[in-house]
Amino acid sequence: MEKYEKLEKVGEGTYGKVYKAKDKESGQVVALKKTRLEMDEEGVPPTALREVSLLQMLSQSLYVVRLLCVEHSVNKHGKPLLYLVFEYLDTDLKKFIDSHRKCASPRFLPPAMVQSFLYQLCKGVAHCHSHGALHRDLKPQNLLIDKDRGILKIADLGLGRAFTVPLKSYTHEIVTLWYRAPEVLLGSTHYSTGVDIWSVGCIFAEMVRCQALFHGDSEFQQLLHIFRLLGTPTEKQWPGVTSLRDWHVYPQWEPQNLARHVPSLGPDGVDLLSKMLKYDQAERISAKAALDHPYFDSLDKSQF
Amino acid sequence: MEFDLENPLTDFHEPHSDTITSLFLVESDHMPSENYFQSLQAKGLDISVRREAISEISKFCYNFDPLLSYLAINYLDRFLSSQGVLEPKPWVLRLLAISCVSLAAKMKSEFSLVDFQGDGGFIFDTQTIERMEVLILGALKWRMRSITPFSFLSYFISILKLKDPPLRQALKARATEILFQAPNEIKLFEFKPSTIAASALLSAAHELLPLQHPCFTKAISSCSYVNKENLLQCYNAVQEMVIDGYESAFDTVASSVTPLNVLDQHFSSSESGMTHATVTATTLGTERDIKRRKLIDYCDNLSVQISRIRQY
Repeated sequence: MEKYEKLEKVGEGTYGKVYKAKDKESGQVVALKKTRLEMDEEGVPPTALREVSLLQMLSQSLYVVRLLCVEHSVNKHGKPLLYLVFEYLDTDLKKFIDSHRKCASPRFLPPAMVQSFLYQLCKGVAHCHSHGALHRDLKPQNLLIDKDRGILKIADLGLGRAFTVPLKSYTHEIVTLWYRAPEVLLGSTHYSTGVDIWSVGCIFAEMVRCQALFHGDSEFQQLLHIFRLLGTPTEKQWPGVTSLRDWHVYPQWEPQNLARHVPSLGPDGVDLLSKMLKYDQAERISAKAALDHPYFDSLDKSQF
Repeated sequence: MEFDLENPLTDFHEPHSDTITSLFLVESDHMPSENYFQSLQAKGLDISVRREAISEISKFCYNFDPLLSYLAINYLDRFLSSQGVLEPKPWVLRLLAISCVSLAAKMKSEFSLVDFQGDGGFIFDTQTIERMEVLILGALKWRMRSITPFSFLSYFISILKLKDPPLRQALKARATEILFQAPNEIKLFEFKPSTIAASALLSAAHELLPLQHPCFTKAISSCSYVNKENLLQCYNAVQEMVIDGYESAFDTVASSVTPLNVLDQHFSSSESGMTHATVTATTLGTERDIKRRKLIDYCDNLSVQISRIRQY
């Protein structure tokens, strides 16, 4: 790892520390993500092997943070470490939204920017899904932004299986539930691409409002937030919901008017959002189909 | 997610047009460098070093899916092409071979080192194998989801628009057999996986559906991802390899004695030639002509024998 000069710690990712660093030879600024690699009697663990190689393949897309290389190393105690070297982007969507909300004169993100970011997000998600990969943990902190070029890229991808998504990260910071799909919250084990689309919908609404759509602090609270806005799901709306592992009897809420919660969004945007937040996974729009939704008609797609 | 050579990118079994495009875009990342053969020599390595390592791989993989050894050989070639080995001593080659197999097995979830270490010779401890694995991973940049010719077979078959499913299966089965021979043919090193897949398929079609062969060739060469000139060159190399394969099967046959044994041996030897790919293809031209003549005689002879057997 002598190749890189660590500049600063930029974050504590779910799986380990992230550093901003400089390649001493080329001067390129990179993000170094350190992961502990649990070697067992079988050498390099198969899950890590499959996940990292999947990441390597997915990072071919412009809308996925590029994995530049993988460096193998050992720590002070001789334990094997894996450094994933990614391209460096200066900010993430969470910080970006916060900077709009918290500044002296709070303002919303320009609608054209929301549209462009959402389009890039759908592109990236469609790419992952077409490669058989789910993200499972899409959230604004995982979407990196190049402010000057208006580019959004998906990060923290594909490690879901090698390093199972923990409820608490290794720094004991609680992993956010705000973007988690209701089927995951209800303990379904048969979830699919729809879980990512749900997250995309939540992120879409958050870009519009500059505030999270559902901000629960426990799985139960998170479900109540969702049900209060979209109505308590029924068997008719979502076949099989009452037999999910963590289903309980909930207060019966009627669905509210979604448009009132995203006041600055036009009817096409609200329509797309409602299709991303369908209870029944089968009815939820796919990332690929979302790209053709009328909401994006006014976007110049040739730039992507 | 288990790695499937026919479907390197995806779990979803429906072919996806975007996926096919990405396959063609990135396939070159998964093959040895263009001048692999020359670079082997430049590193002072003989092609026999590679052959030896491959024979070790085949030994380790003997009881497993032939795709496992195919994947391991892909790793081996990419490793040798980028890195080489400093001392091609037998134990180094064996360590390299077992590490390639171990990585391939982990990708395909068929793993247990114990299964591979059984038969005498050099036994390595896991740490040694682990270090070699890490070395290989570095050289291959962790691109372990190799895109091989198998990734393209279904796509090219779909282009042929065959209506009859058994026919599609037969064609695919024969093309697969041909692909298992491909790692032994030096002339194929320079071609992309997709070109090799298309050529193997056309070669299979030439055997099984000779009448439709010209229109298949046309369909495949008009595919926008395929370079016609390369396809033609590659197809010729594949055809040569296939014919040489028959010839070496014939050689084995020619040296045996009784007619009944001839039949047995012919089938068993061609079978093992397909799956374990032990057929080598370095025959001189003149020798080849003589062999071809012998082969024709042999085939005539064989049909006579078959008709005789039927009479019994």
